[in-house]
Amino acid sequence: MATPNQPHALATSGLTKAYGDLVALEPVDLVVPDGQRLVLVGHNGSGKTTLLRMAAGLLEPSDGSVEIFGAPAGSDDARAALSYLPDSPVLYDDLSVLEHIEYTCRLHDAEDWEDRAVGLLTDLGLTERADDLPSRFSRGLRQKTAIVLALIRPFGLLLVDEPFVGLDPPGRDAFIELMDDAAAAGATVVVATHQMEYVAKVDRCVALRDGAVVYDGPPGDVDVLTLVG
Amino acid sequence: MAAIAEETSFDQASAITLADLRRARRRRRTEDFDVAEAVYRVYITAVVLGIAVWVLSGVVGDQRLGAATAAKAASRGPQVVGAVIGLGFAVGLRSGGRGGPLVIEAADVRHVLLSPVARAVALRRPALRQLRFGAAAGAGAGALAGLLAYRRLPGGFPAWLACGALVGGLAVPTGLGLAMMVSGRRVGRIGGAALGAAVAAWSAVDLAAHTTTSPATFLGDVALWPLKFRLVGLAGVAVGAVAMSAGLASVAGVSIEAAERRASLVGQIRFAATLRDLRTVVVLRRQLSQEQPRQTPWFRVPRSLAYPLQRGPAAGQARRFPVWRRGWHGIARFPGVRFLRMAVLGAVAGACSVAVYRGTTPLFLVAGGAMYVAGLDAIEPMAQEVDHPDRWESYTGERGILLLRQAGPSIVVMVAVAVVGVATAVAVTGGAALAWKIGLVVALPAALAGVGGATISVVQGAPAAFSSTDAMLPPEAAGARAIARIVVPPAVAVIGFVPVLVARHPSKGISSVGAAAGVVAPVLLVVALVGLWVRYRDAARAWFKAAMEEANTARKPPARPAGGH
Repeated sequence: MATPNQPHALATSGLTKAYGDLVALEPVDLVVPDGQRLVLVGHNGSGKTTLLRMAAGLLEPSDGSVEIFGAPAGSDDARAALSYLPDSPVLYDDLSVLEHIEYTCRLHDAEDWEDRAVGLLTDLGLTERADDLPSRFSRGLRQKTAIVLALIRPFGLLLVDEPFVGLDPPGRDAFIELMDDAAAAGATVVVATHQMEYVAKVDRCVALRDGAVVYDGPPGDVDVLTLVG
Repeated sequence: MAAIAEETSFDQASAITLADLRRARRRRRTEDFDVAEAVYRVYITAVVLGIAVWVLSGVVGDQRLGAATAAKAASRGPQVVGAVIGLGFAVGLRSGGRGGPLVIEAADVRHVLLSPVARAVALRRPALRQLRFGAAAGAGAGALAGLLAYRRLPGGFPAWLACGALVGGLAVPTGLGLAMMVSGRRVGRIGGAALGAAVAAWSAVDLAAHTTTSPATFLGDVALWPLKFRLVGLAGVAVGAVAMSAGLASVAGVSIEAAERRASLVGQIRFAATLRDLRTVVVLRRQLSQEQPRQTPWFRVPRSLAYPLQRGPAAGQARRFPVWRRGWHGIARFPGVRFLRMAVLGAVAGACSVAVYRGTTPLFLVAGGAMYVAGLDAIEPMAQEVDHPDRWESYTGERGILLLRQAGPSIVVMVAVAVVGVATAVAVTGGAALAWKIGLVVALPAALAGVGGATISVVQGAPAAFSSTDAMLPPEAAGARAIARIVVPPAVAVIGFVPVLVARHPSKGISSVGAAAGVVAPVLLVVALVGLWVRYRDAARAWFKAAMEEANTARKPPARPAGGH
């Protein structure tokens, strides 16, 4: 947990995103302490992905700010501390799974990654496909490859957007376990999902509707489905 | 101190990692590299380029310009070439305001730009590669222009070739460098467009005032070195070097949001281009430059416009021309930049027509090309309908008739574009009466031919993955058909400028204007044939399909009687 001197894992202040007249995210003030497990829920277009992408530094806020462990989103320090797993995996067509892992680890200055890579590949059932090109994979296998890449590198904050799409039940269970392991190791985990079964597993739930926060609290207190419409 | 050393060491390690990453990818891509096929491609490209140069050289002709004309070219040439380069710089600056020109792969955005690797380290190589490619492409185009200039102007062949290549090889990367500077410094859309307009205006002032003050005119001066060497050209070279260096230095500040958007759109554009799907390329290019329809239309379509022939009190009568009305609704929401682009294209066509009349024949293709591109913009209401085939299914009228009606408002717009061209021609010639007269003769056929070419392109759509017609044709004929699909639409637009070509050769008793007017009817006939093709295309295809099915049925052996031996 964060101490008074320690910056929060994720902190937004008046964070807004608008595309012309269309407001995708109304001013959001959100503080996620270090080590917390948080889930973002809301219907399509509610602003979950926009919020995560702004935290990851992929989208620029129209107004307000977002900080990762005290560093502005998108800065070198923020990028070093944050791992973002998008809803659609984006991989190189001409690199094998192992090559993806190797270069990801080198780009993030990861150490002793080989053993962890073996473990992750085993957990997600990719060992046999490690030398294959992801361009020949199904959607689910590509998603598993992206999960390995998100977890193999060092991070203090894990942002995950709709992680269960395309995953088979064993893959989904394995990924939930891996996120639990990351949280147990001290990482902050923020997951945007439509899977209500996962909501019960986390410390905090934030519900968004039409770009605005409509609920922020423990997941068991309210019927989230009615909140998000 | 230790922190700085650590950071530098990480940057060096990152650079090595990125180099290894690119090497690994290149190795993978070249695993299936077929040397014989590559040599064959180079051979084919060389043959095609050789033929293009030979044809263009032949069209330009060998007739040398007189001393007076050559002196005029040496005096005015830098400003003219500078104006073209200035326009290119303006396009670059505008692109920079929208996050261009860097195109980074989507995977690089996700894996490299989201890693803690310094952006300067990550982006310098792709930026350098883009500058290098721009320099090579520009040098090639410049060398070709130099070759064509050598055919008619005094001066040595190597000098024209070298100066052309130097100007092209500098102008394109300078434009790219300016764009990188604007995008890296986050000047923004309005700032980029304003800077572009200022640079283009500066060159235009040089052209009008016959001065040499803008960097683009400095570079234009280099192009004319074979006629007259002036030191001022070196300033253009220096400005180019500075712009490229500044662009490279600024590239780290590029917006990741813009980079990701461009990565996705450029990938789609390349894919659409490989499928020869021009319409998709046009639509994606508009998305790339964030060209959106206006929320508030420029004008409301009045009922009298909806029902132009009989102005009656009955309100219901306005509903009698829904297609005409729909076209104007679409045009009323064109963004301002689209109207501006069409006006510029009209002006280019007008200026090229003057040059064609004066003897620079190849610009005839540029004039037609400009009207074709303007036509692709003007034809948008029809293209929108073609893009939504499900809507066609709900209409009661024949598709061909509806398409022809849809072209009406676009023709009106294109006539306005042609009028801009005529005004430009008059301005370029200093208000010559002949320019007015020939311009008025050419305006309508050029506008109609531009719409005709664009209509063919839109109506024929992208080539089908499997075409039953192609399947029945011999491979040679199918190949020719594929080429025709690409060549015919712009060729129709180019035909609109035949009257300008003919006007150059007045015969005894027939003036230039009379000669031009004499070929207007054949040009209109070509446009009418396009109209007939649009009108009866569906019926002809249905007839052809039915005939082929009938022929196949007739060829089938009769069914064997049951139980027979």
